[in-house]
Amino acid sequence: MDQKDDYVIEMLHITKEFPGIKANDDITLQLRRGEIHALLGENGAGKSTLMSVLFGLYQPEKGEILFNGKKVEINDPNDATALGIGMVHQHFKLVEVFTVLDNIILGAETTRMGFLQKKEAREKVKALSEKYGLYVDLDAKVEDITVGMQQRVEILKMLYRDNDILIFDEPTAVLTPQEIDELMATMKEFAKEGKSILFISHKLNEIMAVADRVTVLRKGKGIGTIETKSTNTQELSNMMVGRPVQLQVKKDKAKPGQAILKVEHLSAPSRVHKNKNAVHDVSFEVRAGEILCIAGIDGNGQTELVSAITGLGQTNAGKVTLCGEDISHASIKSRSKNMSHIPEDRHKHGLILDFSLADNMVLQRFKEKQFQHNGFIDKPMVRQYAEKLIDKFDVRSGQGPDTMARAMSGGNQQKAIIARELDRNKELVMAVQPTRGLDVGAIEFIHAQLVEERDEGRAIMLVSLELDEVLSLSDRILVMYEGEIVGELYPEETNAQELGLYMSGAKRMDRKEAAV
Amino acid sequence: MSRKNNEPRLLEGNGFQSVLSSVVSIIIGLLFGMLLIFIVGALDKNMSMKTVWEGMRLVIGGLFSTGRGASGELAWGFNSINFGNMLFRATPLIMTGLSVAFAYKTGLFNIGAPGQYLMGAMTSLMIALGIPSDKVHPVIIWILAFLGAMIAGAIWGAIPGIFKALLNTNEVIACIMTNWIAANVVTWLFDISKFKNVTESTKSGYIYKTTFNNVATTKLGLDKLFPGSQINGGIIIAILIAIGIYILMSKTTFGYELRACGANKDAAKYAGLKDKRDIVLSMAIAGALSAAGAALYYLSGNTELFWSTYQSLPAIGFNGIPVAMLALTNPIGVIFSALFMSMLNIIGLQITSLTAYNEYITDVIIAVIVYLSAFSLLIKQFIARRMSRKKKEGAK
Repeated sequence: MDQKDDYVIEMLHITKEFPGIKANDDITLQLRRGEIHALLGENGAGKSTLMSVLFGLYQPEKGEILFNGKKVEINDPNDATALGIGMVHQHFKLVEVFTVLDNIILGAETTRMGFLQKKEAREKVKALSEKYGLYVDLDAKVEDITVGMQQRVEILKMLYRDNDILIFDEPTAVLTPQEIDELMATMKEFAKEGKSILFISHKLNEIMAVADRVTVLRKGKGIGTIETKSTNTQELSNMMVGRPVQLQVKKDKAKPGQAILKVEHLSAPSRVHKNKNAVHDVSFEVRAGEILCIAGIDGNGQTELVSAITGLGQTNAGKVTLCGEDISHASIKSRSKNMSHIPEDRHKHGLILDFSLADNMVLQRFKEKQFQHNGFIDKPMVRQYAEKLIDKFDVRSGQGPDTMARAMSGGNQQKAIIARELDRNKELVMAVQPTRGLDVGAIEFIHAQLVEERDEGRAIMLVSLELDEVLSLSDRILVMYEGEIVGELYPEETNAQELGLYMSGAKRMDRKEAAV
Repeated sequence: MSRKNNEPRLLEGNGFQSVLSSVVSIIIGLLFGMLLIFIVGALDKNMSMKTVWEGMRLVIGGLFSTGRGASGELAWGFNSINFGNMLFRATPLIMTGLSVAFAYKTGLFNIGAPGQYLMGAMTSLMIALGIPSDKVHPVIIWILAFLGAMIAGAIWGAIPGIFKALLNTNEVIACIMTNWIAANVVTWLFDISKFKNVTESTKSGYIYKTTFNNVATTKLGLDKLFPGSQINGGIIIAILIAIGIYILMSKTTFGYELRACGANKDAAKYAGLKDKRDIVLSMAIAGALSAAGAALYYLSGNTELFWSTYQSLPAIGFNGIPVAMLALTNPIGVIFSALFMSMLNIIGLQITSLTAYNEYITDVIIAVIVYLSAFSLLIKQFIARRMSRKKKEGAK
């Protein structure tokens, strides 16, 4: 048989509808044996829906699935597992209080007379982990390990079940640059062994680096399948968005004004170990009209630093001044008078998932005069305001302002938060990983918005884990390593390699000399 | 044609599906009750099939039973006593149901309703009996007693709230403890008070009716509408409070804030809302609602409190939980679910007095309905799925 037509999975003319939206509209995807096939599309383009159909979580209204050329019915994930299909979900499906080993064998336990045979399982997992260089601590509880290790656990779960068709749903969204490289290498290794991989992503560089072919989806429709060898990132992004996209951030040189936020000798306790400091004696300023980026690998104190400034977390020592006011011990409410905050965790802090989009848009503002009269909320006004924001920030949802936040795609949830926060027009914009998990179209838009805010004279404090974003968007970069600021850099004078050295702690700068 | 266009919108409405799911729970519960009546009757040699058939009919229509006619057959029709008593008995249930529903909307499980109810009972009775009506107008005493009860309940409800807000203690545990503290405090306070046996020395261990001091809820003419029953204006007050709570929750900024805290505490904190204050306030309001239920019940003029049994906890407080759940914690729905629960109560009395069955059978039916009401969300999803499938088929 011609290797080219040796399809292991074919999804033909799949159509899946949800109330108010056609998530998949006549999409065809053919996966060859031993290839890495990328699925590219914006948020809400229907990638996750298509994969959920393949995994048996949704039943399509139209279309069929072929496995090795034969038609199959996949009614639930068990059917998918039986066909050797495994999936690493974007949000991991792990039992937090179980150990790594327990999580891996969960649902596929070897038992003898009803008793668990963990020893055999341990041997098998260990062998797999060594073979592919997927290091995990088998006896650690999942809640205690890093996100990167959690992902390795998910991958080992698939391997433990001898899956041959591996689906990765936006696997790199949560990883550090080093971890991404490792994952890419592992994926190539899998493909070499004849496993077939579906790689869902909207990061063009990664797709170009690792995938053999790529299928592009846009607004629920299949746009086409092409070889990565015969294309480039610009063409792919144009296909995905449907118009030419600006991949580089367009901005003029910053004209910083006076300091808006001043942080002096700040120390803050760690979220995990309360008696340890995660932020040690950190001092810096964010000035009006500049984008200051805090770069660093996840877990080096950025979250705690942000929490201490926004008031969500505690401060052990030091002083925070915002617009000339000492806010070191102020309430969140009084801090938010001059600060808008795009939070790191959009589900935990950013949105009330069981509220409508309209209600979420006024989370901080419902007591303002325009939205209430004598304590009664002016619902038409709230709705109108939400519609304005939805329009301005292109927030897509099934039922407009009445959509439950829970029912929206991750990218649109993030857009909603950004719309709400930027429209509050505060002196300081605290943007924590504002583009995490977003597609190029949305990233382009959000970056442009942040630059616009900067040009209007606002101070932007950006916390980002993405090197590309750090280098392209910021005017000044502070690198955090183990709770300290180890470097102050300017994007035009540095590059990813140098930044990486600071981020990994290999290089540090005496800031007293470097400080401007 | 315009009606046809409106129809699907009504059927797809969230509210409609909620009501439907509660109705389905109720119907299954009643069917189960009939089945139970049938099985019990069939197994009992002393019961004829006629009795079984009567019992089954009473499960459904007991509210409309007017006893037995001259021929000895069951007679049916409007029974003013049944209706009036149903409304009377629903009054405190509406309030405890509201209490649980209100707390639930703000993310708290108020299992402390019995304790709050007891504090309300004690405070309202002590004020109603303690202020002499020859010096103060009885209406003023009534108002003072009612408000006093609400304040006592609010304080009692706030205690678990404060523990939750400051120490992150689970409110369920704190509520259970405050329940038992209330039971014993109330018993003790009545024991050492001068209010026991205020009129009838032949009865021991009673707090007698507040009518002794000329204090009673106004009848508002409802006794003319339902002659012979215990009804009074309390039911109107309870319904008005339910409507008030509905407006508070869904239309005001305060309600928005409480719901936000309930739905996502972290996001509420992020938005600068005072999540801790809201927890305490929410529990205080829930407590005030339960206590108001007790006040409406004991100030009615028809009731007396046998205080020495109050070392146990009043069922009305706990029954607020199923009332709230059956109403899917909607304040307006609480009115109807409380009415339904008290109707079952009346049916129980009818079955006992007219047939060889005892009233415990209705307790079993209530239990089944309560059990099913926990599934009402599941039933709701089932209905929603059925409807969307039907719509799809229609589109084809």
